Amino acid sequence: MENFDVIVIGGGPAGLSAAISAAQVGMKTVVIERGDYPGTKNVMGGILYTKATDMVVPEFWKEAPLERPIIEQRIAMLNGDESIMAAYRDPAWASEPYNAHSILRVKFDRWLALQAEKAGVMIITETLVENLLYKGDNVVGVRTGRAEGDLGAKVVILAEGVNNFLAVKAGLAKPLKAESVAITVKEIIALPKETIEDRFCLDEGQGATIELYGDSTAGMMGVGFIYTNKDSISIGVGAILAPLIHNNWTPNDLLEYLKSKPYVKRLLHGGETKEYLSHLIPEGGYTQVPKLHRQGLLVVGDTAMLMNSLNREGSNLAMISGKIAGEVAAESIKADDVSDQAMMVYETRLRDSFVLKDLHHYRHMGKFFENNPHLLRAYPKIFSNAVKLYLTADGTPKKERQKEIMKMVLQNRSIGGLTKDIYGAWRALL
Amino acid sequence: MHFVVCLKQVPDTSEVRIDPITNTLMREGVPSIINPYDMHGLEEAIHLKEKLGGKVTIVCMGPPQAKEALKKAMSFGADRAVLLSDRAFGGSDSLATAYILSSAIQKIHETEPIDLVFTGKEAIDGDTAQTGPGIAQRLGFPQLTYTIKVRELTDTTVTVERKTESGRQVVQAQLPALLTVEKELNDLSYATLPNMMKAAVYEPEMWNFNSLPFDVRKMGLKGSPTSVSRIFAPPGRIGGEIMDGMKDPVATAASVVQKIFQQNIIMYKPQAKGGNQ
Amino acid sequence: MKLDDKLFLVRFNTDKLSHIKITNPDICLKQCQDKPCTRFCPAHVYDWDEEEKRISVGYEGCLECGTCLIGCPYGNIDWKYPRGGFGVSWKNG
Repeated sequence: MENFDVIVIGGGPAGLSAAISAAQVGMKTVVIERGDYPGTKNVMGGILYTKATDMVVPEFWKEAPLERPIIEQRIAMLNGDESIMAAYRDPAWASEPYNAHSILRVKFDRWLALQAEKAGVMIITETLVENLLYKGDNVVGVRTGRAEGDLGAKVVILAEGVNNFLAVKAGLAKPLKAESVAITVKEIIALPKETIEDRFCLDEGQGATIELYGDSTAGMMGVGFIYTNKDSISIGVGAILAPLIHNNWTPNDLLEYLKSKPYVKRLLHGGETKEYLSHLIPEGGYTQVPKLHRQGLLVVGDTAMLMNSLNREGSNLAMISGKIAGEVAAESIKADDVSDQAMMVYETRLRDSFVLKDLHHYRHMGKFFENNPHLLRAYPKIFSNAVKLYLTADGTPKKERQKEIMKMVLQNRSIGGLTKDIYGAWRALL
Repeated sequence: MHFVVCLKQVPDTSEVRIDPITNTLMREGVPSIINPYDMHGLEEAIHLKEKLGGKVTIVCMGPPQAKEALKKAMSFGADRAVLLSDRAFGGSDSLATAYILSSAIQKIHETEPIDLVFTGKEAIDGDTAQTGPGIAQRLGFPQLTYTIKVRELTDTTVTVERKTESGRQVVQAQLPALLTVEKELNDLSYATLPNMMKAAVYEPEMWNFNSLPFDVRKMGLKGSPTSVSRIFAPPGRIGGEIMDGMKDPVATAASVVQKIFQQNIIMYKPQAKGGNQ
Repeated sequence: MKLDDKLFLVRFNTDKLSHIKITNPDICLKQCQDKPCTRFCPAHVYDWDEEEKRISVGYEGCLECGTCLIGCPYGNIDWKYPRGGFGVSWKNG
């Protein structure tokens, strides 16, 4: 059995970042990936954040296969055929130091894996890790699904993705629940560059994002999204699995429902679907973050539930958690102490970083939305009706119109209900 | 025993679409794979090596990216891989490719005598089935094409079953020989982890135009007499007719028979004797 | 666009062995009323076979999201990842 300093299970952003940071300080590191090459099993909506990625591969934007720098973010609220929208745009985001880019994971992850190889990481593809190897309480290696398939390691970094098989087996995480994952489906729809730029009011090469709430998910907890790539659009919708099942939706029907919205339809018009994808997003939040370490083992990325859905940040949390895990693994190995105590430094550093701070900040959010399923049904309707009344010029005096709006609001939600919602939201989000 | 396996990296043709307007192949973004037939040649070579001892050398011609295919091929347990890559080779048809590959195999043969060469029966992107026989001819090796089973391999002979249009043939050739192989030859095995690791760090040998005394007139576009005059998509098939046999089976059967004769699928000739059995 | 047409766009390297098993088909037949797996799976891998009175599993089209493992109310779907190198292979991701 061959021995490594660090074995990383999974070649996504978290795993590859961990491998890079470990190998950079001289650790003999291997990544074991089940796909043809890193990327072929990986899916996300498609936004990569500059700052976190830059910390793993400095000035990555000069070489990495990126789609478009995001200069505009829109938030839309849909109610039937109506929509309300807010947007922030800053063309400065189209140049260094950037804020975020749209990416396609198959290309990007493969490139990131190449950077890992340059840092000295060995990447074994097409190989599934089926079990961890133990010596007493200590994780000492992995067992793969291949003949003569055991490998030894001083530290194993678990980056197996949202499906947390190994983390559950290791007693660190509980099996996922239908309330704490969002089933997300996405399509890649090809359109000419110029068409994309015209439809989204972009200069050449610039990109935009839209998140759509409310009727985009038929009022279920979740979000629709539209991201511009170079010559395609990523459109997807994710909804928490429990309400999706309860309401008898199929994920594809939900996506078709979003695509049929007049505003969305116009953006996609004439495009050709190139791929249909699906993936789970870990939405458990802070309260469901598993135990992040045990002797000889660290847990990173989606496996660690590191996902901030409100700000749709995930890849950055994954990469930072990976980077810190790689560093802690290397320090512990050099100090010849991979005890649970030594591994805990990883958690401490995550707590000191925005990763767990943000998750902690939004710790009540999941429950808040879970306990108030009316929010994404009632409020898009209320807002939409209010704006419509306000903007309709039919000779009604404005004072009367304002009263009408108040009446409409209270018809849809009582004063007590409003107060409760506002207080709840304030507590969950601020 | 020394086995040489010829591999080609090809676009995954199940992913290639034809542009309905320009009639050209849309190859952009299409993943590359190892020609599936070649994989079965490799599998057989590895299998024979494990049984009889010896060495497996892989030879491939292609762009530098074909390195990936060779690394993957190494994971099945091969010992050495040579990639022939040069701009001068670009645009070669099956004639020129056979010339280049046979020159390289000849050079390998001079230092490490070869017993058997494997090629796929054809590549899935060109479907010519000419390169393997072309290599054999140039090397002066007997060629056993469409191999579906290697029955026996001795120090001097190889005996195989080959697929023909009317059945199977058992044929024997003196070594060294070249086999072109079908998928029925074997089932692909699942590489071991140590071999996967060896492959992960393996760097194939790179040979270019200067590695051999190549004749530049026999390669590339100049050395390729094949010209593609037109590419077109075959017309889509019209769906068949489905008849409901539940309601009135007798009438349905009669109408089926009638249609068969009307459309000359079977011709009614009372005197004709049975054709091929 | 129909789901079948979308799935046609997805690239698979299909293993001969299935990576999905219904643990106890009796549960599907006797206890499970509305067969949610036939809806929540984004690739429609699961279908109720009325003739054979069981859930038929088209593992070849599995997109490997893991929804079934979590979504089956009886925990009756034994879903694992396919062997390394097999299954879905995204072109864009």
